[in-house]
Amino acid sequence: MSDIQHADDLAAMIGESVGQVFGDLVTPDLILGAEKGEWPERLWATAIDSGFDRALVPESAGGIAASWAGALPILRGIGQWQVPLPLAESMVGRFLAAVAGIELPEGPVTIAVPGRGDTLAMRGDRIEGTVSGVAWAGQCRALIVPDPATAGRIAVIELGGSGVSITAGANSAGEPRDRVVLAGVARRTGEVSALSGLDDPVRALGAFARSAALSGALASVLDQSVQYANDRVQFGRQIGKFQAIQQQLALIAGEVTAARMAVDAAARTLPCFDAASGALATDDRALFDLAVAKVRTGDAATVVAPIAHAVHGAIGFTHEHRLHLATRRLWSWRGEFGSDAQWADVLGQAMVAAGGGFWEMIAARRLER
Amino acid sequence: MPLPEISVHDLDPALESLRAEVRDFIATELRDFPPRERAKNWLNANAAFSRKLGARGWIGMTWPKRYGGAERSMIDRYVVIEELLAAGAPVGLHWIADRQSGPMLMRHSPDLWAPRLCPGIAKGEIYFAIGMSEPDSGSDLASVRTRGVKVEGGWLVNGRKLWTSNAHLSHYAITLIRTGAAGEQRHAGLTQFVVDLKAEGISIRPVINQLGDHDFNEVTFTDVFIADENILGGEGDGWKQVTEELAFERSGPERYLSSSQLVREMLLAADGDSDRQRVTFGRIAAHYATLRQMSLGVSGMLARGDTPALAATIVKDVGTTLEQAIPGMAHDLFGGDVAPGSDLAEVMHYTTLAAPSFSLRGGTREILRGIIARGLGLR
Repeated sequence: MSDIQHADDLAAMIGESVGQVFGDLVTPDLILGAEKGEWPERLWATAIDSGFDRALVPESAGGIAASWAGALPILRGIGQWQVPLPLAESMVGRFLAAVAGIELPEGPVTIAVPGRGDTLAMRGDRIEGTVSGVAWAGQCRALIVPDPATAGRIAVIELGGSGVSITAGANSAGEPRDRVVLAGVARRTGEVSALSGLDDPVRALGAFARSAALSGALASVLDQSVQYANDRVQFGRQIGKFQAIQQQLALIAGEVTAARMAVDAAARTLPCFDAASGALATDDRALFDLAVAKVRTGDAATVVAPIAHAVHGAIGFTHEHRLHLATRRLWSWRGEFGSDAQWADVLGQAMVAAGGGFWEMIAARRLER
Repeated sequence: MPLPEISVHDLDPALESLRAEVRDFIATELRDFPPRERAKNWLNANAAFSRKLGARGWIGMTWPKRYGGAERSMIDRYVVIEELLAAGAPVGLHWIADRQSGPMLMRHSPDLWAPRLCPGIAKGEIYFAIGMSEPDSGSDLASVRTRGVKVEGGWLVNGRKLWTSNAHLSHYAITLIRTGAAGEQRHAGLTQFVVDLKAEGISIRPVINQLGDHDFNEVTFTDVFIADENILGGEGDGWKQVTEELAFERSGPERYLSSSQLVREMLLAADGDSDRQRVTFGRIAAHYATLRQMSLGVSGMLARGDTPALAATIVKDVGTTLEQAIPGMAHDLFGGDVAPGSDLAEVMHYTTLAAPSFSLRGGTREILRGIIARGLGLR
C-alpha cells in the first residue's frame, strides 16, 4: 500500500471517529460553557480515549503515527465543530516532544511562541520572562516553547510547578489565551533540528494547526449560510432564491474550496513519523506549503465571515444564534501563530528574491533562504 | 451541502525533466520576446511558435497517435501548458484547437473530422475559433439565431456570430446553429457544425477591443452552404455538446495566470525593504500556489475519469478573481511612480485594460456563480 493510500485510509477512519465524538458531544451550550471557564471533561476524556492527542506520535510512544494528512480530520474538525479544548496544541506539542525525545506528563499540553511585548530568556540554567496569548495555559500540564538558549531546540516547562504564574485571558472567540510569567523555572530541552526546514517549528506547526481549524470553521460557516438561505423566507420566497444572495454564497464557496485545498496540500508535506519505520519523514516543500495555507485560510476568513453575517441578517448577530461561534474563531485564529500578512511576508521575501524567476519558486514550492 | 472536494494531485518527480525541457525551449525561443508581447499571454498569435510547439509534440499531447497526438497524460500536458503560460508564450493561435476543438472532433467525429483535421492541429498548422456567441446571444447561449435550413445534401446557413476571437486567423470554427424548434426548455434544435471559415458567403469583420487590438471578430453567414457531413455529433445535440465543450475551458491554468507577466514586471521593480510590497507579493504567491493545486487537482480528477464540473467552475471563478485583482495591486504599489515606456509601464497598461475580459471569456463570473449556487442547492 502506498503512503498516500495509507494516509487516506487512516484519515477516513479518523474522520469517522471525529464525526462521532465531536458531532455528539460539542454543542453550543458546551462551547459557551467553556467560554465561561467550564472545562469539558467528558469531551476531553473521549478525545483522549480516541487517541486524538497522540495521533501524530509514533506507535512506540503510544500514538497512531498518523501523517498530518491522516490526522487532518481532527485538526479540521476542531474548526468544523468549534471544539473548546487545547487539542490542536496537545497534538502539536506531543509531536514536537516525540521529535525531541522528551516525555510529557499525561493530560493537555500547550505550545506558544513569544510575541510582541513578550520576553523569554535564560538566567543561568533557568528560564524567565513572560509569554502571552498562550492557549489554555490554565488547563494544561506543560508548555512547549522554542528554547531561548539554543536554536533548533524546544523547551518544556511544567505549568504546575513553582515560579509559574498564569493570568487568564481570552481571544475574541472566548477561548483561553493566558499570560504565563516564569520566574526562573527549570525546563527540559530537546533537539528538533530534524524540523529545521520549518524555521521555527513551534510557530510553523501551530500555524498549520490554525490553518486546518480555519478551513473547518469556514466550511461550517458556509454550511450554516446555505442552510439559512434555504430556510429563511422573505418577499414570499426563500432568500437563497435571490440572485444577490446566490452570488455572495457562490463567492464564499470558492474561498472555502481554496482554503481547504491549501490545507490539504500542506498536510502532505509536513514532517511526520513513518508508521512502519518510526523514522521522521521530511519534505523541503513544507515551509512554503504551510505559509501558503496560513495566508490562504486567513484571507478566506476575512472574506467569508462578513458575507456569512450579511446573509444571516440580524439573527446572526445575536448571542443566541450559533454563527458567531464559528465567525469569532475565524477572526481570532487568522491572527494566531502568525497572521496571514506575517506569513505573506515570508512568502513575499522569497518572491522578491526570486524576482523574474518567481514562477520557478511557486512551481517548486521551495523557499530558498 | 455538496461542495466539491478537489483531491490533491502529487506531481510525479519524473515530470521535472519534461518541465526542464519546456523551460529550455522557452529560454531559447523567446529569448528576445519583449514583456509587452508576453503580457498578451494566450491571446498572442504566432504561427511560427505554434509550429515549433507542434514539432515538439506539445500540441494535442494527450491525443491518440492516429490523430497526430503524442499519447501523453493529461498531467504531462498540464506541466507543459503551465510553463508556457507562466512565461507568457504566444500560444494563442492553436490554443482553442488544442484545448477544446480537437477533443470535440475526436469525441464526436472519430472517423471523419478527427482524422482529417487533428493531425494538422497537432502540428500547429490548423487553428480553430469558437462559434458560440452572437449579437443577441452571449451568456444566454440557448437564444442563438444563426439558422440552418435543410437543403439537398446540407444546410443553408444565415446569421451572425460575434466576439469570435481569432476568426480572421483561423481555418475552422465549431459553430452552434439553430436547425430546429427550440422546444419548451429552449435547448432543443441546436446543432454544432464544423465550419470552414473560408467558405463562400462567410465574411469576417474585425471588432477592435478597448486596447486597440484585433482579437474579436464578427462572422456573418449569408446563404452559406454547409454539407451534412459537417455536422459534429448529432443533429439537435448542440446544447449538450456545447455544455461539454465549455467544461474544457474552465479549470486550466490559463484561468489564473493571465496576469503573470505583470507580476513578473512588478517583482523586477520591487523594493525588498518595503513591508507593503513583500506582503502583497506573498499574498499573490499564496493565491497562485493554491490555484495551482486546485487546477492541477481538477486535471488529476479528469485524468482519472471523474467529471468535476462544479470544481472546474469554482477554479475559474477563484482564478479570474485573482488575475483581475493583480492590476489593482500593481496600481497600489507602483501607480504614479512608473517610468513611462518602461516594461512595467507597458505591461501595467496592457494588463489593466485587458483584465475585464478575463471574467467574460468562457462564461461570465455571474453565470458561473449561478452554476455554483445551483451546486450548493440554492436553485
